[in-house]
Amino acid sequence: MLSDSQHLELSTEQGTPERHDPFAGELVIEGIGVAPGIAIGPAYLYARAAFEVEERHITREELDKELSRFERAVAKSERDLNKIASVAKEKLGGDSSSIFEAQALMLHDSELYDAVREHIEQDHMSADYAIQTVINKHRQLLNASDSEYLRERANDMLDLQDRIVRHLRRGKLLSVVDADSIVIAENLTAADIVLFSRRGILGTAMDYGGSTSHVSIMARALSLPAVVSTHGITSHLQTGDLIILDGLEGRVIIHPSEKTLAFYREYQERYRRLQHEQKQLVPLPAETIDGHSVRLMANVEFKEELKLLKEYGAVGIGLFRTEILFLMQRRINLSEDEQFATYKQIVETVGPHPVTFRVLDFGGDKMLPLGHREHNPFLGWRGIRILLDKPELMVPQIRAIMRASAYGPLRILIPMVTELNEVFEFRRVMNGIADDLRANGEDFADSIPIGIMVEVPAVALKAHRFAAEVDFFSIGTNDLTQYTLAVDRGNDLVSDKYQELDPAVLLLIKQTVTAAHDVGIKVSLCGELAARPQATPLLLGLGVDELSASPVYLPEIKRVVRAVNMEETRALADDALCCGDAHEVKALLKNWMHKHACDLASYLEQDS
Amino acid sequence: MVVREVIVTNRAGLHTRPASMIVRTASKFDSDFFIQKDSYEINGKSIIGVMTLAAEQGATLSLTFEGEDEAAAADAIAELFESGFGEVK
Repeated sequence: MLSDSQHLELSTEQGTPERHDPFAGELVIEGIGVAPGIAIGPAYLYARAAFEVEERHITREELDKELSRFERAVAKSERDLNKIASVAKEKLGGDSSSIFEAQALMLHDSELYDAVREHIEQDHMSADYAIQTVINKHRQLLNASDSEYLRERANDMLDLQDRIVRHLRRGKLLSVVDADSIVIAENLTAADIVLFSRRGILGTAMDYGGSTSHVSIMARALSLPAVVSTHGITSHLQTGDLIILDGLEGRVIIHPSEKTLAFYREYQERYRRLQHEQKQLVPLPAETIDGHSVRLMANVEFKEELKLLKEYGAVGIGLFRTEILFLMQRRINLSEDEQFATYKQIVETVGPHPVTFRVLDFGGDKMLPLGHREHNPFLGWRGIRILLDKPELMVPQIRAIMRASAYGPLRILIPMVTELNEVFEFRRVMNGIADDLRANGEDFADSIPIGIMVEVPAVALKAHRFAAEVDFFSIGTNDLTQYTLAVDRGNDLVSDKYQELDPAVLLLIKQTVTAAHDVGIKVSLCGELAARPQATPLLLGLGVDELSASPVYLPEIKRVVRAVNMEETRALADDALCCGDAHEVKALLKNWMHKHACDLASYLEQDS
Repeated sequence: MVVREVIVTNRAGLHTRPASMIVRTASKFDSDFFIQKDSYEINGKSIIGVMTLAAEQGATLSLTFEGEDEAAAADAIAELFESGFGEVK
């Protein structure tokens, strides 16, 4: 780890790529792009070890100086935290600022403040060492707890320690990360992201994290290009190394060659112009050249994301994953009223556009907080299978959703259906609830559309039977791909075989759409495939009526929709269905997009 | 000395936000304030203390106030618990 003086030395050299070892080749690290955009600049390696504290004692003469050093650091930390809290409140609203407010209170907590002063005055510890000693004591207590909540609070205390120590050492927080740098870390917290964006960093990459982790959502909300899951990136670079961060493709390029650099500089410039143009698209309809319209909707997991809908022009929520509410609270017994309050708030915010509530989809990779374990959870007790077995989970949720329907349009989506009977059972439960609500004088919408997730091949194959019983289909391409190709995408040994564009998956989509359109119901698609603009013409050609994705991706999808001709996408889909494997489909899409000049690269080229 | 029994009614228990509210409110009064849960007692004016209580929904707490303004302090803190810390119920 670099010492402070080394760090200062490096900072003065930042932005000068010539510093690099000329023999070091370009190194490309692949990850997951979670917030789009291109950043080019010096890396800033952010590591906790930078704030390591040594055991140090002071002399009696230094005592007053040490105490006032501590006072100053506390005052500055307090100012930071108040600032971060207000940024968090303004950008994300709600409870997102509470942790920073609590950290600010901790600064003056007698358990911390008085104890640190005591260690300095009586034990002649340095302020750094005194803080670490006190905080360590509390962290040990918290870490020993059975409660996950308390163990997380131990991390909050470590955050606070780092903050005070930084102020003790440098006198100002400005050096936490350098402005105009790309922050590289093993792991960052949502708080880090808020703070860094305020400092004006260019982007961030980290070893851990997934596209739905809170830190990724925060990066998207703050429009900060971000790549996660870059296994081991921190070991490949140093602070000051010039890097390129590609949040679109999910890639970090270390020591880029002159050629790569030139390409990306131009690409970045065009992307900026593109973003500007995309903003103009927000109020326009998602309509092909020949007047065929598609509904672009948002996948939402946290209430904090609701404000992004308007910003990116989402016309409603195509998928609200209700289990996230339960997982966030880490408990299974959210009451009907608690759920109702949340659903009502969402429906009121999103209205007049519809909100699609997918009822609890526990099981699979989302562990049910019931301590239940299975050998093969993806083929086990999940989604509707759990709900029908556990009325105590299902009934309060359906009641809460139905009551919320009095406040704005909503649809109900049933996950993991495989048999018609599950739909009949679900409807029976719903009818019973409707009678009961009516008897109690509760208000709810007369007709609430009920749809099913098409994520098991069996449902796609029986789509014509299901189409007669439901009001809409929603194709979940992530699971449909796993189940069709028998590939667990979380398994590194086979994850390269996880191909959403495999013709088998496309055939199932086609069959689903045909069955739905035969009886006049709509098909939505809400897997990750929906977020990929390269696939947009194909999905249009297959006849999908609605695409639902993380809001930030919608403007680019809309740009593609508005650049294509429906007739031509149908021909593209026919060709894709005849391909032998996913690689052929990808090549076909690439050529087609290029030929029709609607891929990002050609669009950006035209623009120059 | 004033002693009050309260029950944690808000759904997520005494998590970060309610804990902050308790400490902020208690700090407005001069009286000493302690919270007891089972056999564990903490200083109610300490955010670290209140958070380590890890009081979940349904937990019964005993609040002790001692000082000139103990009655007013007890009312103010009890009111926070009764209102469920302003969470939507």
